[in-house]
Amino acid sequence: MNGQGFWGDVRKYRTLLLMLTPAVLFFILFAYVPMAGIVLAFKQFNYDGGIFGSPWNGFDNFRFFFDSGNAWMVTRNTALYNIAFILVNNLLQIFAAILLFEVAGKWFRKITQTVLFLPYFISWVVVGAIAYNLFNYDVGTVNAVLKAVGMEPIDIYNTAAYWPVILVAVAAWKTLGYGTVMYLAAITSIDTEMYEAAEIDGANVFQRIMRITVPNLFPTVIILFLLAVGNIFRGDFGMYYNMVGNNGLLFSSTDVIDTFVFRSLTTSNEIGMSAAAGFYQSVLGFATIMLANYAVRKYDKERALF
Amino acid sequence: MKTDRLLLAGIGYTALTVLAVFCLFPFILVVSSSLTQESTIIENGYQLFPSAFSTEAYRLLFDYPAQMLKAYGITIGVTAIGTVAGLFLTAMTAYVLARKDFKWRGKFSFFFFFTTLFSGGLVPWYLLIVNYLHLKDTFVVLILPMLLNVFYMIVMKSFMSGIPEAITESAKIDGAGDFLIFRRLILPLSKPALATIGLFIALGYWNDWYNALLFVQKDDLMPLQYYLYRMLGNMDGMRKAMMQSGAVVNMDLPTESLKMAMTIVATGPIMLAYPFIQRYFVRGLTIGSVKG
Amino acid sequence: MTFKRKPVSLVLALVLAMATLLSACGGGNKSSSSPSASESASPSATASASASGQASPSGGADTPEEVKLKMLLVGGKPADYDAVFTELNKLLKAKINATVEAEFLDWADWSQKYPLKFAANEDFDIAYTANWAFYNDQALKGGFLELTDDLLSKYAPKTWEAMPKVSWEQAKVNGKLYMVPNNNQEVTDKAVLIREDLRKKYNLPAVNSPETFANYLKTLAQNEKGILPFQAKAADGWKWHELDQILLEQQNEWNLVDYNIPLAYKLDDASGKVFNVYDTPEFKQLLTYYKDLSDNKAWSRNVVSNKNDQWQDIKAGKAASYAQNLGTVAANLAEMRRDKPDVELAIADLTPDKKKIGAISTQNGLAIHANSKHVERALMLIDLLQNDKEIHDLTMYGIVGKNYEPVGDNKYKAGPNAANYTGFSNWGWNSPLNRTDASYPQEASDMGNTWLQKVYHFPLETFVFDDSKVKNEVANVGNVMLRYAIPLEYGLVKDLDKGQADLIKQLKAAGIDKVQQELQSQIDAFLAAAK
Repeated sequence: MNGQGFWGDVRKYRTLLLMLTPAVLFFILFAYVPMAGIVLAFKQFNYDGGIFGSPWNGFDNFRFFFDSGNAWMVTRNTALYNIAFILVNNLLQIFAAILLFEVAGKWFRKITQTVLFLPYFISWVVVGAIAYNLFNYDVGTVNAVLKAVGMEPIDIYNTAAYWPVILVAVAAWKTLGYGTVMYLAAITSIDTEMYEAAEIDGANVFQRIMRITVPNLFPTVIILFLLAVGNIFRGDFGMYYNMVGNNGLLFSSTDVIDTFVFRSLTTSNEIGMSAAAGFYQSVLGFATIMLANYAVRKYDKERALF
Repeated sequence: MKTDRLLLAGIGYTALTVLAVFCLFPFILVVSSSLTQESTIIENGYQLFPSAFSTEAYRLLFDYPAQMLKAYGITIGVTAIGTVAGLFLTAMTAYVLARKDFKWRGKFSFFFFFTTLFSGGLVPWYLLIVNYLHLKDTFVVLILPMLLNVFYMIVMKSFMSGIPEAITESAKIDGAGDFLIFRRLILPLSKPALATIGLFIALGYWNDWYNALLFVQKDDLMPLQYYLYRMLGNMDGMRKAMMQSGAVVNMDLPTESLKMAMTIVATGPIMLAYPFIQRYFVRGLTIGSVKG
Repeated sequence: MTFKRKPVSLVLALVLAMATLLSACGGGNKSSSSPSASESASPSATASASASGQASPSGGADTPEEVKLKMLLVGGKPADYDAVFTELNKLLKAKINATVEAEFLDWADWSQKYPLKFAANEDFDIAYTANWAFYNDQALKGGFLELTDDLLSKYAPKTWEAMPKVSWEQAKVNGKLYMVPNNNQEVTDKAVLIREDLRKKYNLPAVNSPETFANYLKTLAQNEKGILPFQAKAADGWKWHELDQILLEQQNEWNLVDYNIPLAYKLDDASGKVFNVYDTPEFKQLLTYYKDLSDNKAWSRNVVSNKNDQWQDIKAGKAASYAQNLGTVAANLAEMRRDKPDVELAIADLTPDKKKIGAISTQNGLAIHANSKHVERALMLIDLLQNDKEIHDLTMYGIVGKNYEPVGDNKYKAGPNAANYTGFSNWGWNSPLNRTDASYPQEASDMGNTWLQKVYHFPLETFVFDDSKVKNEVANVGNVMLRYAIPLEYGLVKDLDKGQADLIKQLKAAGIDKVQQELQSQIDAFLAAAK
């Protein structure tokens, strides 16, 4: 080994660095170069000036958001929904993955796994339409059933309180197959020797699951958690918009940053203002992920994202 | 001794069946509605069994069979090329980040991850692709911008971190270079992860219509999902525009059943391919067997 | 296993990866000259300079070299585009030594793509534009070329002659013109489509006022199970009750300056005093009217979440009325007569004696791209599209015998392939040369003609609000309207007084006062200048 310090390391890792090169170039070109566009959040965009030549306008583009009096509500909603999604979705996916792995019937396993994936393919537009068919007051299926059994119909579309439950359930339903595959792959990668050892020790299946499968899923859980945390201030616009639409009665419990910004900007079409909202989400997400990553690092350096 | 297995089987079959029913039920609704007469849907809503059978929606979709087949061809081509290239690059990058002896892996991970937090937005992105890379109306533009995804890279890295270091170490002693280790040892050991991420990448390409929306104008390059998106969006968008501009256009299209038929047309092929990918998730593809 | 080989395949993989990236970067030497948005400082200035520079010496419509124009239209590309535009280009070649090629931005995604085309400074000469398609915004951002009287009178002389002065004035943004608006005289008042057969069934008086309409709705709600008396369109961001244009605006003879803000003035108020409509006794009274209807089940409790198409609901017999502009209502009436002749519909004007307002000209139009290199020829093309009978017929209705059959001089019948040439924004060059559909219901054209005769002209007719100084406030006000005004108007809020007070309070917080001040000062300045 000749050479010390930085250049020595470069020599030492030259193959690894070479292997990273395509990805590094890719992200420089497709992510870091356009990132310069963040300046638009602080500019009054016009075509003559373009991105860099347009006049600065300070924090003016942020004003619509913070002056609205809704900034806190929609930020809180966005974060709470995402926290609920992270918890519910992952628990359900892990549960389904473990069961899929454990049940014996080969055909049952294959068919179930395929069926669990079906909701992923139904677009939010269609999901929204089906939900309206189920939930609407006058002729919805839910109320038809309630009336048939002699109960009072419920006015779902005019009652904000139902919606957190509905949205969390729908999100879990839609992502079930996708997430299950990921956890199933993680379980499949667990060394079978461990299971054999457990069997010899006389552990029952539940003990085996709790002592071997679940702990071995932990790294995957943490990684997925960290990845989700960075986006905790971003809402899946397609979902909220197609499920809730412009129904103001539900906004107190369904409005997230993305829908709020969309509604505010449909008429003004102002590039700078949407850039400002995006920047706000980025900064919050960045702060949160730094904290979360720091916490994970404290607990186990190997498990952290970076 | 066997009671625990019975209990688990009981829970497993019951719970999975319940979940499966929840997932299947709406899909049947979609299939059935796609085969129902439009007027019946409007009068009675979606039904589990088509009470007034009609293939009108599918006929409409395949009105221009050449266009539809071409769209399928583009989508299949994009998905195939994109998945192979993307999966290889993702795995290669992930492997380097998973190497515990690589000093800068934290820094590089951060470099990649940062791009998921901040982005420049639509305008600079569009300017880059159209004015600087000149990729508008090219086949490449449907593949290149989605080639790598940080999320997949990091999940892949996390899978690869589970592979014992001893394997890399012993290969190194045998004189293998890093790339050879990756290609000959790590890739075969990561089959479940490759299958999973490969599936995700494929789904991403299969379902993408946004790149086409922004960058494809030529009919010859239109992928399936964008073709469908446009068909539906044109109906909705036109209605809205007509009201605002005062113009009147007469059109009578089965939007409801069409929406449903589109779901089926767009889902079918990838659902058919899915069982083949599943064989990589079976038990037994383990590290232990290779180590021995 | 042997590990002695050099990692040739790695190098190969890298080369491949690099090649992909590089080919991407270098792929387009051909257009390396195309300027980036940031480089091409003030294209409008250069374009107009060159335009007038070239124009002055020759004077007339001198067209020595053939040019190819590009036109940006909104809507799906019609199936018979090639046939029609080949024909068009033959005519254009002879008349102005130019050809034109249109690019279509689909309805599905035009609102996202349209601004990007400008931001990337793509190559096109003419663009469809309209007040609802960001006309003001694009003009203020420098996307369009300013059209001077000189340019217009020289290169679009027929249009310059034919266009009413009011139409030009309405199209001005901050006193400058950026659009050749369509020349289409019509009234924007909304009408209501009702089930005439059901009205007769219950012996109800003719529907021609808010009271008779309420009576109609309530009778149906009571007696016709399974039919929604009134249906609203699927929620799409519209910030008012569907009947507000009729019952609030037309009924009170107000003019809402911009449907994104609740500010209006009285049509006959010469001083142009602006007020907040939510804070008026008229609005309060209307709320009671709506609440009564809502309590009597005149519309669905889930009306704000509605996802169904209102017309399809009526056609299917699930709904019994809706409000829309006269043209749409009339087309639907004709459709019902064709498809379900046993169902009798009627068009009802709920405000027959009130003042009518002419449609604002910027509802449709064409603009010249700020960096167009063929300004004169583009204007000549617009002139022909709007005012040359042969070209107008061809571009509006397609090819005779295929897409349409002319009926006399001003009517047409749909041809066998009518569907192959329709559905895009050729409305941009609507003009008095437009033909009307021969199947258009007689009562609708009668109603339209009566309305036209009653058009009321007022000083603020050509006033357009420039909201660029209060963008933040306008965004917030719109949000408040969606969230608080709509549920209140559809009768979903129990306590009307409290609901109205809440709405006004939220509007104040959103900055309505600042918007009102800005609007008032612009109106005052406008009126002062007009004197």
